[in-house]
Amino acid sequence: MKTSSTVPNTLRVAVDIGGTFTDGVAALSPAGRIWVGKTPTTPDDPGEAVSTVILNLLRQVSASKGSDAPQLAEVVHGTTLITNTLIERKGARTGLITTKGMRDALDIGREWRYDIYDLEIMMPQPLVTADCRVEVDERLNARGEVLTALDDATLDQMIVELKATGVESVAVSLLHSYVNDTHERQVAARLQAAMPSLAISLSSDLAREIKEFERTSTAAANAYVKPLVGQYLQELESRIEGIQRDIPLRVMVSSGGFTSAKAGAESPILLLESGPAAGVLSALNTARQNDVYQVLAFDMGGTTAKACVAVGGEPPIAHSFECARVERFKRGSGLPILIPSIELIEIGAGGGSIAYCNRLGLLNIGPESSGSVPGPACYGKGGKDATVTDADLLLGFLNPSNFLGGEMQLDLELAMKAMGRLADKLGMRTTDVAWGIYNMVNENMASAARIHIAENGHDPRDFAMVATGGAGPVHAVEVARKLRIPRVLIPIAAGAGSCLGMLAAPARVDRAWSNPQLLADTDWDQVATNLAKLKREGEVELASAGAKDVEWHIGAEMRYYGQGADVPVAIPYEAASASTGKAILAAFEAQYQKLYGRLVPNARPQVVTWRLTGRARTRGHHFEWGDNRVKTSAASRGKRSVYLPLVGDYRDIEVYDRYSVQPGQTLQGPLILEERESTIVVAVKSDVTILADLTVSVTIKEFE
Amino acid sequence: MMAYATDLHQPRASKSNYDAIELEILWKRLISVVDEAAAAFVRTCFSTLVRDGNDFAIVLTDAQGRSLAQSTMSLPGFIGCLPATVRHFMDKFPADIMKPGDVFITNDPWKGSGHIHDVTTATPIFRDGKLVAFAAVVSHLPDIGGKLRSNSSREIYEEGLQIPPMRLLDGGSPNDVLIEMITQNIRVPEQGMGDIWAQVSACRMMSDRLQGLLDSVNLDDLGAEVRLRSENAMREAIRQIPDGSYTATVQHDGFEAPLYIQCKLTVSGDRIDIDYAGTSPQLPRALNVVPIYTFAYTVYGLKALLCPDIPNNEGSFAPITTTAPLGSLLNPTYPAASGGRSAIGHLLPAAVFKALSEVLPAKVWASGSPNSSMTMSGEYRGERFAVVNFLNAGQGATSRRAGFSALSFPANLGNTPVEMMEALAPIRVLRREIRRGSGGQGLHAGGSGISFEYELLPDASDVSASFLMTQLKSAPAGLAGGGAGHAGRLLLNGIQTDPTEPRVLKAGDRVLMETAGGGAYGAASA
Repeated sequence: MKTSSTVPNTLRVAVDIGGTFTDGVAALSPAGRIWVGKTPTTPDDPGEAVSTVILNLLRQVSASKGSDAPQLAEVVHGTTLITNTLIERKGARTGLITTKGMRDALDIGREWRYDIYDLEIMMPQPLVTADCRVEVDERLNARGEVLTALDDATLDQMIVELKATGVESVAVSLLHSYVNDTHERQVAARLQAAMPSLAISLSSDLAREIKEFERTSTAAANAYVKPLVGQYLQELESRIEGIQRDIPLRVMVSSGGFTSAKAGAESPILLLESGPAAGVLSALNTARQNDVYQVLAFDMGGTTAKACVAVGGEPPIAHSFECARVERFKRGSGLPILIPSIELIEIGAGGGSIAYCNRLGLLNIGPESSGSVPGPACYGKGGKDATVTDADLLLGFLNPSNFLGGEMQLDLELAMKAMGRLADKLGMRTTDVAWGIYNMVNENMASAARIHIAENGHDPRDFAMVATGGAGPVHAVEVARKLRIPRVLIPIAAGAGSCLGMLAAPARVDRAWSNPQLLADTDWDQVATNLAKLKREGEVELASAGAKDVEWHIGAEMRYYGQGADVPVAIPYEAASASTGKAILAAFEAQYQKLYGRLVPNARPQVVTWRLTGRARTRGHHFEWGDNRVKTSAASRGKRSVYLPLVGDYRDIEVYDRYSVQPGQTLQGPLILEERESTIVVAVKSDVTILADLTVSVTIKEFE
Repeated sequence: MMAYATDLHQPRASKSNYDAIELEILWKRLISVVDEAAAAFVRTCFSTLVRDGNDFAIVLTDAQGRSLAQSTMSLPGFIGCLPATVRHFMDKFPADIMKPGDVFITNDPWKGSGHIHDVTTATPIFRDGKLVAFAAVVSHLPDIGGKLRSNSSREIYEEGLQIPPMRLLDGGSPNDVLIEMITQNIRVPEQGMGDIWAQVSACRMMSDRLQGLLDSVNLDDLGAEVRLRSENAMREAIRQIPDGSYTATVQHDGFEAPLYIQCKLTVSGDRIDIDYAGTSPQLPRALNVVPIYTFAYTVYGLKALLCPDIPNNEGSFAPITTTAPLGSLLNPTYPAASGGRSAIGHLLPAAVFKALSEVLPAKVWASGSPNSSMTMSGEYRGERFAVVNFLNAGQGATSRRAGFSALSFPANLGNTPVEMMEALAPIRVLRREIRRGSGGQGLHAGGSGISFEYELLPDASDVSASFLMTQLKSAPAGLAGGGAGHAGRLLLNGIQTDPTEPRVLKAGDRVLMETAGGGAYGAASA
């Protein structure tokens, strides 16, 4: 299958650094053959594991292809380094420069409590301590006009004060810099001249939005991780240079796009959610391959489960985000970050999440996780608490001898004991508790997804789910059934999903400018001129990335004048004129009605931000295994006793090796498909078909 | 005497229809219906009071108007009030004449949430033609006409437009007469009516979302079960407190003389009855607290103290009653003014904490200060504006840690970004800082208040301004030997000023508001 956005006969490698493992995938274009590599993450020097994985992948490719193996053309990269640095508070000593009178913006925050009843509440602590903040006497008004100019004496004083703090990185956040960034730039220029080794982050570069606390928080977080990430990306580049010369390194950003290693080092906060973003892109690629355009991407790993609702093949983008929460499940307990990111909902439960009996005598799960040490009780590493994985094992979903392809043996008896202890507290039977855990985790996931789907004005019955992550395929069909989603797709190499996502990301450009104005007052000539100019620039950029057949859209972030949040709308590109205004208004009203039920009488529609998007029209990237794991004989591995929800008891069902089932073949569920990285559990009546790209497609036939 | 209590039935001993797993799942779904509507309300509202100030709440009740679930970030005072408002709507519009698409509205302080600036809407939810539930939303409007919200009002008539319980939508059709009346009477109708329409959307969304749950659930059974669980948890927590009467007095600045809240809290078995006899009489000022608001903040203090982690609903209220003498500050008669009632109402959790400080020494907070606010209206560059901004204070320390600085308690009101304030009103903020050192000294220091200073732009026309401030004379007290925090103050052009009367500010005028620090816990070691 040909794709339009990649150059033929190239070898590309994607590497994702996770908390436990560093994953890598090498892909050969255009055939789409892939090789998978995995090595433990090396936290003290993360680049080491990256080198190990790349070298391992290159060995695999040359073993398969011999002298035909092409040279490495590109390395793409995602990382959890930034998230972890913020959570663990291991960043640089960071300073903050603010407008006079605003030095405490990070302490004051929004003054509200994220939990109204908790008298023991803990509030998130600012990344910049009070002694590292410097005020400058300058001022703009809300229209960006200068009220107090910045003079040399003020800047000199600033340098003296900042030097005394001993910071190695500094955030600059001045009032109203979202309309006029001149003062922030003046400050940056002077800092650079006087303190050349200082890392500088400007709020107007990172988050051009009105609300100083959130913008300052974003700049401070960027400054906090900047020295570390800069050094890391530099070392990584030199390691890759050591493997092969002149290989471009591109890093994935949270919104699903790419940036250069150099730009990534400038604005590392944009990389915050790069791993999960790539996972969503992988799911969307699988969906696109199979002509599915209403997708619930579902990813479930050891500690978290995440979901994303994507319609029309595009991931939804949110413009604010929260990181390093004090309490993981409580919205508002983290640091606000205003960056564009693929919108994911976290519901928290993962395979290692611990189940317990709460004060009301009710079963609860997580957020506490057993981690990799001691891990679930069945790992036999001393874990005493019953976890989701223990429940999965007791219900017959997991094969104790085939965990990680048999590398690890699971202990049924230990799982039973842990579950028994919990069952005694709840006054229930052990099996009922195991089922209850599985059911509750799935319900939590389903209800979060249900809200999210509904918030976006959709009906789950129109969706297909794409499941990834180690625990994703174990739970996916049940979650889908609860949501009444009729079809579930499980792509190949689900465990390395985020790497495939990086390799599959379609070439695209996004441009935007903000100019809040009533729709009725729009200067259409100006809008048309801006759009045409941006389109010309974008066309050049996409052409250089090899993309042909590009689709262009005009987007507008709209609201009624006076509201505080936008409704995004998009129409196909056209030379903008007053009739474009009519089309945009119609799109806005349709979307508003859908979301909120009723238009607001006598209110004035406003465009806050204009957008231009160009994206290579692609059916998606096809991937197939580079190694020889695909078997030619399709045979059941035998039967296993598995708990079936609609029966309410255990039954013997067929168990298959996933890669022994041939493309085009359809099996009847209930059944289990085992593979090295995961287990696909289909516990209800359904058609299970292996598609041409080896994706497993499950069509659910019974919901109650 | 007027008492506030929900139906005091004994907890049901019968076996539950739900197992421990099913119930948790359904309960979460109920809460998520409400949270989803809250998210939509924040996105569609027109005033910073909702989206920045968090000055709203959303509740789902059963067909009898008993609370089932509330929005997670609700304002504590509103939570206790909203179900009662629904029951008042039912008194005027009996269930048999309600129909799908009806939306009721009121801002009656006695039937709503204590002052006319809060507007409540509610909609009945039907299933197969039968009334099964209500969705209700309350929020503080940026303006309700009349005089600016100020403690100087002597009667409710001065405070603005009164909306008795009425139909805003009749079977889905707008009540144009009422809408025209409201529009004519408020300063910035685009904002005020915009917020009301956002409430209507939120009500409707809850109604839509609940339908999915009703496919598989009998709401009466589920409601009875969740109420029972919350009630039992509250009763169990109350039983841990030794029986007896506990008393406390808290003081408010007052006007010519200080005001006193006398709290007598009686624990008997699994119930708590609070009597506010001895509290100061009602005043011809806007500080009067209607009984439902007295009840709401009293219950809130107890809930936070005794069982914070159990979802709140009508069951949590059942074991608790409050009474206050008719004609007192906590049970005033019509037409008492009440625009500034939160300054008194927010002291009720402090009274409860103080009363129980000897039996629950590890849990209670020393006194802190409720929020202050600044209200302004006028015209700038040809556009009318009306803004309300909140300013929080220092909170009390506990036996384990220092008090929080610049945090809202017991309300949960957020500030408005400085950049947003300056975009909406002709002011320049000179500073918004932690008022360092304003917390009381002791083993654990009290939290600090805020110093907020601004001036009117040189080209501003005259602006009407009103400052609601509290703890300007009486400082928040320490606990267990800890020192008191510093009292707050208001300075106009450098001169200390009494905030009771509204002011006219002129171009270049400078305002400094400093909020109080919280009380410390324990004596400082020598």
